[in-house]
Amino acid sequence: MGGSPAGPIGRDQHEVEDWERLSDAINSALGARGLQSTDEHRRAIESLENYRDLSYYERWAAATERLLVEKGILTDREIDERAAEIERRWGGP
Amino acid sequence: MSGHHPHEETTTSPYAARIRAIEALLLEKGILTEPEVQDRISYMEARSPANGAKLVARAWIDDEFKGLLLSDGKAAASQLGMDPEHPAEFVVVQNTPKVHNLIVCTLCSCYPRAILGRPPDWYKSFEYRSRSVREPRAVMREFGFEPPENVEVLVHDSTADVRYMVLSMRPSGTEDLDEEGLARLVTRDSLVGVSVPRAPGATDPG
Amino acid sequence: MTYGPGDQVRVLPLEKPGHVRTPDYLKGKNGWIEFLIGPYPNPEVLAYGLSGLPERNLYKVGFKQADLWEDYRCPAEDRLYADVYEHWLEPGEGGTA
Repeated sequence: MGGSPAGPIGRDQHEVEDWERLSDAINSALGARGLQSTDEHRRAIESLENYRDLSYYERWAAATERLLVEKGILTDREIDERAAEIERRWGGP
Repeated sequence: MSGHHPHEETTTSPYAARIRAIEALLLEKGILTEPEVQDRISYMEARSPANGAKLVARAWIDDEFKGLLLSDGKAAASQLGMDPEHPAEFVVVQNTPKVHNLIVCTLCSCYPRAILGRPPDWYKSFEYRSRSVREPRAVMREFGFEPPENVEVLVHDSTADVRYMVLSMRPSGTEDLDEEGLARLVTRDSLVGVSVPRAPGATDPG
Repeated sequence: MTYGPGDQVRVLPLEKPGHVRTPDYLKGKNGWIEFLIGPYPNPEVLAYGLSGLPERNLYKVGFKQADLWEDYRCPAEDRLYADVYEHWLEPGEGGTA
């Protein structure tokens, strides 16, 4: 990444959304509990296949999810099911 | 759930629901508690570039504090009531008439969040992370700043667990300003090093 | 070995799989030790949930921009610093310092 050719630096600043704050907080809380480390989280982000398609906090959330499943704390299935339930409640797809 | 206002969730990111799901599950299983999560949200909300501005303004008027800031950033931050968090190191680098410092994390966007809060979106961009190490002067030019030709530009890539912040030079014509007035000149961008503090009387938000 | 300030070093051009904190653009480049930051557990191993022990020395390493990029042009001697672990360094051949 460092030194690669790239265009002008965009200066748009998006409003941080509540879910992004939450993503930050969960990551931090898990770290404080010793359940995941900064290095593990970085490694999980780097291993995301769709890294370039995701926003900064999407990468964070996806990496946290990956680690929780990897460590057997949560399962993909229960996250999928609960996320679907939440989206239904929000009236989304 | 923490700060959950369904009618305000206007995002189309699928990760919004996923992180809420993760929160709900972790709370139900007792892996995290709601107060813990709230604490971490509050922790980040309490941090902002104003902290950096305070550190810089104090260093400008107090040589002893400046010495501490440059030799032990965390101790200096603690002295001003900030909680700089372990275990990352916090190092402040000084601009002089001979050198200008620029901070980046090419690998992931490390930033002294425990002092300054969240980094701006541009700091995390591929463009900034790619170009700042290779063409720092062109990058600074985009931010409206051009160091004099004889000034050396020093780029610090935060590749390990040291987080960096820039102590800019005090603008001239500020002899009459008090600490608070000085702090108001210190922009977030000057703490990263893409530009320098406002001149006294300047009105642009920088 | 432990390096001292001013020692010439070269960043090893290792192609290591997994999590590394040495950027590609520094691999194979010559620089100098600014100072020893301190010993820390190895992040490459911490990244997989292991202890990362024994700790490795972390150094602030300086490079002349002109030594990093072929097309770097500037009137002053611009420099770049990165924090590099000891196992990524070997004694250098003098660079252009």
